[in-house]
Amino acid sequence: MFGDLKRFDTHQYQPDWFQQLFDSLFPDTGAADIRSVPRGSFPLINVGRTDDAVHVYVFGAGLTAGDLEISIQDNVLTLQGKRGTQDEDDAGEKARSHYRRERASGEFSRTIALPEGLDPDRAEAQFSNGVFRIHLPKRAELKPRRVEIQAA
Amino acid sequence: MNDVVKHDSSRRDVSTESRQTVTLWPAVDIYEEDNALYVVADMPGVPHDGLQLEVDNNVLSIEGEISLDMPEGMSAIYAELRGQRFARRFTLSHEIDSEAIEARLENGVLNVRLPKKETHRRRRIEIQAA
Repeated sequence: MFGDLKRFDTHQYQPDWFQQLFDSLFPDTGAADIRSVPRGSFPLINVGRTDDAVHVYVFGAGLTAGDLEISIQDNVLTLQGKRGTQDEDDAGEKARSHYRRERASGEFSRTIALPEGLDPDRAEAQFSNGVFRIHLPKRAELKPRRVEIQAA
Repeated sequence: MNDVVKHDSSRRDVSTESRQTVTLWPAVDIYEEDNALYVVADMPGVPHDGLQLEVDNNVLSIEGEISLDMPEGMSAIYAELRGQRFARRFTLSHEIDSEAIEARLENGVLNVRLPKKETHRRRRIEIQAA
């Protein structure tokens, strides 16, 4: 569903047009040599809307519940946290030679503006498979209401 | 009349194009340590059963279907991650023991360990004083 949206362009790690063209011409070269040597915002955010709520999806691979701080103020959602690198996790290990380092690491802070009329007090968040889903219900008075038609 | 037909067909092309599954390239870290190569890939939203890891003809392919818990009737209002699946391939060098590859998926991060064959392990060469 989110695939249909092409209005926003962000810096995501994607092969450039030339590489894509090349890959489509010569499909077999699509595999990069594992040792060949060659970044973007983290985490990526998607927002969806239903009749009674706004859902924010935060793609934070490698983060656990304690690593991400979610706060809402004046309809502005702020996500803060830190993703450690693996090198730090097993500090003191032997030297490593890196061939690729595309994954963002370290501290991050991202802010997005939310639509009006949400009730931040009833917001909930859950996470699974590296995706955080924030459920922000709309204020009751702003939900669409069905208007009954009465026979005259 | 011919023009109208032409218009129609071009429009159909555009719509089928936008309905194609969009495949993303997962960001990876690749490093070597002692007797193995390691591939770490960010694949948020990919559950265990949506992940496919294959080694064929010295090509390692990583594929994952993104599955999000989406309520019915939701419409997208903003999207940075636009795609339904992740896929990426790497050519392995001959010293990798493809039988002994291990992988682990944790919180959307895939860790693949590619051990080298016994015969290709690093040996220390003693330097002798002349």
